[in-house]
Amino acid sequence: MISSEVETMSKNITIDELTRVEGHGGIEISLKDGKIEDVKFNVFEGPRFFEHAIKSVYYEKIPDITRRICAICTASHSLASIGAIEHAFDVKVTPQTQALRDILIHGEMIESHALHVFMLALPDFLGFPDAIHMASKHLDAVKAALELKKTGNMIHTAMSGRDVHGMNDRVGGFSKIPTEKQLIEIKESLEAVKPTTELAVKLLAGFDLPAYNISENTLMAIDPGEQFGFLGDSILVSDQTVHPETDYEKLTNEKVVRHSYAKHSTYKGKPFMVGSLARVQLSNKKLEGTAASLYKEHKDKLQQRNTISNNLAQAIELVHSVDRARDVIEQLLADGLKQEALTEFEVYASRGINAVEAPRGLLYHDYTFNDDGTIMKSNIITPTAQNAANIEKDARIIAENLSGKPEAELVKALEIMARAYDPCISCSVHLVHL
Amino acid sequence: MSKPKLGIFSLTGCGGDQLQILNMEDQLLDLVSRFDIVDFQEGSSRKVDGDIDIAFVEGTVSTEHDLKKLKEIRARSNVLIALGNCAIEGCIQSMRNGETTLSERLKDVYGVEEGFFDAKLSKPITEYVDVEFSIPGCPVEKEETLRGITSLLHGDSPPYYSYPVCVECKLNEYPCVIVEEGKPCLGPLIRAGCNARCPSLGLDCIGCRGPVEGAENFAAEYQMLLDKGYTKQDIMNRLRVFCGELGDDFLGGGDDE
Repeated sequence: MISSEVETMSKNITIDELTRVEGHGGIEISLKDGKIEDVKFNVFEGPRFFEHAIKSVYYEKIPDITRRICAICTASHSLASIGAIEHAFDVKVTPQTQALRDILIHGEMIESHALHVFMLALPDFLGFPDAIHMASKHLDAVKAALELKKTGNMIHTAMSGRDVHGMNDRVGGFSKIPTEKQLIEIKESLEAVKPTTELAVKLLAGFDLPAYNISENTLMAIDPGEQFGFLGDSILVSDQTVHPETDYEKLTNEKVVRHSYAKHSTYKGKPFMVGSLARVQLSNKKLEGTAASLYKEHKDKLQQRNTISNNLAQAIELVHSVDRARDVIEQLLADGLKQEALTEFEVYASRGINAVEAPRGLLYHDYTFNDDGTIMKSNIITPTAQNAANIEKDARIIAENLSGKPEAELVKALEIMARAYDPCISCSVHLVHL
Repeated sequence: MSKPKLGIFSLTGCGGDQLQILNMEDQLLDLVSRFDIVDFQEGSSRKVDGDIDIAFVEGTVSTEHDLKKLKEIRARSNVLIALGNCAIEGCIQSMRNGETTLSERLKDVYGVEEGFFDAKLSKPITEYVDVEFSIPGCPVEKEETLRGITSLLHGDSPPYYSYPVCVECKLNEYPCVIVEEGKPCLGPLIRAGCNARCPSLGLDCIGCRGPVEGAENFAAEYQMLLDKGYTKQDIMNRLRVFCGELGDDFLGGGDDE
């Protein structure tokens, strides 16, 4: 829905509600005498007060609540939450648990990126209102995308118990170890959908990147260690600095703004971007195999200063996650699955902080526990909240660069830009400062 | 005959119930071809005004904006279905409704006074409008939702479960996690329809499908968990997540700790 109010001197250009994004948000640009007065990324998804709700809750129950912050990033919230608890109580997990968690997070990337790339972002570039109308001309691609998405959900189901808000991944390990048969089925499915991930790269690399949004852009992502991935203990910034995850408050500097239930983040006084583009740019040397060669082939279309190239970065990650999940499964099958029980441990008064990469970028969970293992206070910072200020920065640049153009053109550009962040607005609305 | 007009709407929540519709990868294209989809904000930029034959609404009413939107949807819709625990019971954002006020929460989480935003105390949609049917769960089960949609297409009602999770657990012959392991399973109180998924994984039911209609055994469950050594605070926290605004009048003065 688009509306425009013209007064004598000032004018508002408003996208009331962004479509093909998760959750409820809009963009508002105020002009006065032809100049931009203000730009707002309005987040009007209602507040959900998760940090308030979990007060006094026993640690064991926390991930069951916090994974419900978001449906499409449910496994990322699960793993961030479980990791923060494990850090608090110094819980060690086995290599098999680490491998199964790695598969789970790759599954989430596959499911989420397949949905965003094919069903939410591509219709813009191909000129359709949605994937269903796109299917009338590109039926094979839409069917292939659904198979790819389904493979991501197969992983969710095998590892966590179901597609959304699974419960099998626990503090200390997995309640029920997936069967060898499940792993073999996932492996076969991953091999079958690999060409679809390459198709995603080919399709997105085939479009010219718009230039209307190019601007200075700071990137932030987890340091994945030796191989490209989504789990780690420190944070990389595009100014070449590296920070421990426990310093996340210095990296985000959140503040409340009136037009948004998502707080805004800045780093050294400036907005920054998290997500696929940040990960791929900051760790591209760690990509391997097909993902590495596709990155080399198309790196001119992966530009730090052009946030719309986040779509192509997601496609590169799809290729990586399909290959990597298959490799980890092959190793597990070669080693033989072990029936491991959850790690046992004691609770005590303590604090634990953990960062993971959700599909949309860095996610932090920070918990402080009482000595009986119940939660005293918490802080959760989601990727879309971190990106909110950067989305406003881009919206301002676009409004400046397209001033004088027809309003419909500006609105379309704003929508394409915002959608490229793959915003997850439900996630963003309950950031806490206790 | 023209296709029925379908709207899929979300208020405040995690988006998980409409995601479960998108997760029907094998049936999605066939399913959407049976309808004229007039509104699906998460999936499409297409919006068509006017009457709706079937509307699905997920989420809670947590802002004035949510309430206005809900009332508009109700006025346009012939059949309105509450989709998921948020819409039916209020889920996590309502779990402290009996305990803390909106202004305490705003101060706690955002450090601001009431009125800074247009926030309301979160309530399920059933507090504000009548609904013809509801499909429970956090999130809803894909198969149940698919059956619900196809039933409606044929003029029938969605499935309804009038018995608790324990029934499905016993039919599957899973070991009882309360009896065998002393886990705080909520299965005796909770609507079936998930095929006892949590016990199948060796876990206690956390209650995500909400209380079975007419559940009168809250006090018995509470007493049983107290006897097993769980604290009042822990038991109440577990019950409140998916069971709506739950006072403690059912406790009948049960002993604490």
